[in-house]
Amino acid sequence: MLILGIDTSCDDTSASVVADGAVVLSNIISNQTEIHRKYGGIVPELASRRHIEMIWPVVDEALTTAGIHLEDLDGIAVCKGPGLIGSLLIGCSFAKAVCYAKTKPLIAVNHLEGHIFSAFLEEPGPEFPFLALIASGGHTSLYKIEGFSRYEELGRTRDDAAGEAYDKVSKLLGLGYPGGPVIDRLAKEGNPKSIDFPRAYLPESFDFSFSGLKTAVMNYVKQQSGIRDQAAEKTGDQSGYFSSMLHSLSLSDIAASFQASVVDVLVRKTEWAIKKKWIKKIVLSGGVAANSELRRRMKEMAEERGVELFIPSLLLCTDNAAMIATAGYHHLKAGNIAGLDLNPQAYLPL
Amino acid sequence: MMKVRTRGPDETRGLGLRIGKLLNAGDIVGLYGELGAGKTTITKGIAQAFGIGERDIVSASFTLIAEYPTNPPFVHIDLYRINTDEELDHIGLGEVIGGQNIAVIEWAEKAAQWLPDDMIRITLKTLSEDEREITVKGLHEKDRHRR
Repeated sequence: MLILGIDTSCDDTSASVVADGAVVLSNIISNQTEIHRKYGGIVPELASRRHIEMIWPVVDEALTTAGIHLEDLDGIAVCKGPGLIGSLLIGCSFAKAVCYAKTKPLIAVNHLEGHIFSAFLEEPGPEFPFLALIASGGHTSLYKIEGFSRYEELGRTRDDAAGEAYDKVSKLLGLGYPGGPVIDRLAKEGNPKSIDFPRAYLPESFDFSFSGLKTAVMNYVKQQSGIRDQAAEKTGDQSGYFSSMLHSLSLSDIAASFQASVVDVLVRKTEWAIKKKWIKKIVLSGGVAANSELRRRMKEMAEERGVELFIPSLLLCTDNAAMIATAGYHHLKAGNIAGLDLNPQAYLPL
Repeated sequence: MMKVRTRGPDETRGLGLRIGKLLNAGDIVGLYGELGAGKTTITKGIAQAFGIGERDIVSASFTLIAEYPTNPPFVHIDLYRINTDEELDHIGLGEVIGGQNIAVIEWAEKAAQWLPDDMIRITLKTLSEDEREITVKGLHEKDRHRR
């Protein structure tokens, strides 16, 4: 069974052909990070316009790479949300038009469901039941997955997503966008114990909160630059010596301490869910799953607890359409076909 | 104008709830304040007045616009990532403010030219780690009746 998956939920236009929900024949992603970097974040106007320009070429490329034609498809799966509404609309409108023109079944997939199902694109995939931690720029949620379409949300962020905290902290440290890779790199040179940033464990809940951490980093930076300016003033230093010295000294420590706080919370909460729910399998997905420290600490914890850990490859962790096609395959098998009146939603919990 | 000091997120949220109860369909509330000042926190309180659960309001920096099917409809907008006026047009800001919608806009200064003079403006200032000075303008100037 051949499914074309389409994802336009955020900055990348992505299309993929997946056979039988398991074999990726193509997975094309228009990487727009280059365009977005200079704007300090995902620029929606730019993203929407790029999606319109990119969707046909990306879909064409996906079909060509897979060596098939639109006629060969058994269905088209599209991400219906959550995400940027303007961007989602382009993917959904495109998928509806093609389904109508070619009389193919339209399948609507929740982006978060896609992230969970990305684990089935690797060998071996997890068996039900398992826990899934999705951490990205837009989401941070923990689920218990009992089977297809049987998802229990254990917790989710009450304010900022983990990846969002990385992006905001990176911006305030002047490190640019995206924040994940640069903070991860800097953190390797810093001391994670140098600054005691808060960890919001929210006892009695599997929810997350990263807003207070972001604020704490900002207050710390403000305080440090105050000390720095005073030192420069006292010594009459005009050369910027103090500013450059303190900057290079503390930046990697701030990065390492910030990262330690994020990773501590993500790992501890997952560990707690393992204990409480008696589940010995974990799937870690979403863009933050690319973080080297999170991967290392999660592996360490999984080994200690004798738990199986599944982390999809980098390309499948981040936003991609293969995961949408895979989840779509299961929907189609279950007869969940969407109407052509499908409307995307920006806010759409699983 | 009203000026209030709050201690901790619970008090900020509580103030939001009180403000939310005074809002009428079509009202636009602009939130001003630096990162971590409590904009999303006060939004949680305002939204609570419309029956939206505390957990259902999260940072909208990623999705920019979150619409809730309440009566009147509640829209949470976050312009953190917006850089140009053109982008405001492309995300459809004009379509979600006004009408019957209650619109709460974080980083409202980025849409200054788009917003009416008679809107409600809430400025949040960080005094210390958990202390905030919150200034509310435009709430009592209007001819409003309690909902």
